[in-house]
Amino acid sequence: MNTNTAPSTALPTAAGRVCAPASPTASHPANHARPVPGAPSGLAEFRRGLRAGLPVMLGFLPFALVLGAQAAQKGLSLLEVPLMTGLNFAGGSEFTAVRLWSSPPHVLLIVAMSALVNSRHLLMSAALAHLPTRRALAALFFMCDESWALGLADARQQPGGRLSLGHYLGVSAGLYATWVSGTALGAALGPVIGDVQRYGFDMAFTAVFLVLLRGLWPGWRRSLPWMGSLVVAALASRLLPGVWYVAAGALTGVGLAAWMARGAADAAGDGAGEAPVAGDAR
Amino acid sequence: MIDPTHLLTIGLMALSTYLTRALGYLALRDRPLGPRLRAVLEAVPGCVLISVIAPAFVADRPADLLALGLTLLAALRWSMLPTVLVGIVAAGVLRQLL
Repeated sequence: MNTNTAPSTALPTAAGRVCAPASPTASHPANHARPVPGAPSGLAEFRRGLRAGLPVMLGFLPFALVLGAQAAQKGLSLLEVPLMTGLNFAGGSEFTAVRLWSSPPHVLLIVAMSALVNSRHLLMSAALAHLPTRRALAALFFMCDESWALGLADARQQPGGRLSLGHYLGVSAGLYATWVSGTALGAALGPVIGDVQRYGFDMAFTAVFLVLLRGLWPGWRRSLPWMGSLVVAALASRLLPGVWYVAAGALTGVGLAAWMARGAADAAGDGAGEAPVAGDAR
Repeated sequence: MIDPTHLLTIGLMALSTYLTRALGYLALRDRPLGPRLRAVLEAVPGCVLISVIAPAFVADRPADLLALGLTLLAALRWSMLPTVLVGIVAAGVLRQLL
């Protein structure tokens, strides 16, 4: 399943060219368990990540422009906008914050809502659990949905199934630069931008997520949590205000996954622990 | 150029955002994951991502739904960049036409 995820189809030739001479592990995953996470030359991994992030950077740009323009309308200054997007690299929470922004802002309301939107990161950060503490704590600063998903999709291609720090940082660097400069530009251009929806750029975001989802697809048999998330989030987006639909959908899916996993663990004993990983190429 | 209340809000947002990431890592780091927790964590990414784009599946305009369908087809076959381009062009053109 995971042999044809997005990053792999976009990248193998380029990555192979860059990495092959330096790291035989990259071209013969079956022969070696990777000894150290991120071992194949850091710079090559970084460049590979940067390249993998390009389509997402394209998708980021319209959102960054819109967010910057909206923030400027709400009274955030040309310095404050990149300050917010640079210190708080999490687009969903920023859109929420800007929507709630007033003059003067309700500090606690905004902080509480943005924390709620970001609460999914509590679980997502487990993907970096194998990294040494200091590196992980630095890398976590850049962990938005997209950098995390690209890093994870790539990890599933790797022999050890672990996230490559170099690749992740390459992805993050490109996304971060695009996001912070894009929002600043949006704040500067402000009213000139208007409604990007009219031009279809918002579909870039959906397209990126669909391709990422294809790479994570667990197969029909285990797709129930996905379907639960989709249905509940879609309904909630029509019925609830703001961005609660993300929390509602994600919690539904995670709850269903927990429920399904209990059944599997009871039925199959210790073998069940390997089940979630069995879909990998190994 | 920088309002103190704005600065406070931004600072607290940044702190809470970072904490959601760091606390999860610190809590799950040294723990051997049981099969159940592991299965749940495996499911998190898909559930989050599909929830984020779920509103597109119940869009009001036929043009948006049609564009979503085309983008979905593209996503099944192609890599990221062509899919993104198909999505943008399909949504842009269909919204003009329908």
